[in-house]
Amino acid sequence: MSESYDRGPVEDFGRWRDFQAGMWAWVFHKFTGWVLVGYLFMHIPVLSTSLQGAEAYNSTLGGLESLALVRILEVGLLAVAVFHILNGIRLLFVDLGIGLESQDKSFYASLVLTGIIVVASVPTFVSGAF
Amino acid sequence: MAKRYSSFDSNSTTWLLQRVTAAFLVVVLAFHFFLLHFVHHAYEIEFLGSQARMEEVGYYLTMVLFLVTATFHGVNGVYNALLNQGLDGTAKRAAQVVLGVASLLLIAQGIRVANALAGF
Repeated sequence: MSESYDRGPVEDFGRWRDFQAGMWAWVFHKFTGWVLVGYLFMHIPVLSTSLQGAEAYNSTLGGLESLALVRILEVGLLAVAVFHILNGIRLLFVDLGIGLESQDKSFYASLVLTGIIVVASVPTFVSGAF
Repeated sequence: MAKRYSSFDSNSTTWLLQRVTAAFLVVVLAFHFFLLHFVHHAYEIEFLGSQARMEEVGYYLTMVLFLVTATFHGVNGVYNALLNQGLDGTAKRAAQVVLGVASLLLIAQGIRVANALAGF
């Protein structure tokens, strides 16, 4: 039976020096989640230019994609999405009680795999941008 | 047994829905990224291509479900983060209303976009 007590806010980032792998995984998952939901609320307005017709849609998307900064930000978005997906799979297993003993190793694996996928994707994402 | 360090009730419907939508989004977000960055490059996306994809009923339904689940999962995640900060009382109710209305508006606008591209 779990006991109830006041432990203060979970998100006490002032304790970051004490964080272990699981806490960093939690912080990164929160951060990437905030970025993804923020992006979602920008993505739909951009796609809404389709309501004004093909020309508005093409010029908006084409204009954004012609900016090198947007291409670089897209690589960042990929990094954020890949980590959130991989760590999300890890969390689903943790919630099912699978692999609890190696939850720190699976966090490090998520980070390494994210890094590999992102680095391998850079040429595709920045093609023709510079 | 280890103590649970969580502010939420793991027996709640939203707790379960957060996990169910996560399992769906893991697959569909990866598909979305792969299709629109690797199969079709983002810089090549044009109205006619988006229209052709959205005219496929399966793709249209997947994208609408993607929109609804991603909005729920994202906004509920933000709400949970606010609860972790100790949000309570009137502020908690205000957050529920603001986030709920924002979610409904985003979903409605997203479906308008999907309908426009699909030609409905």
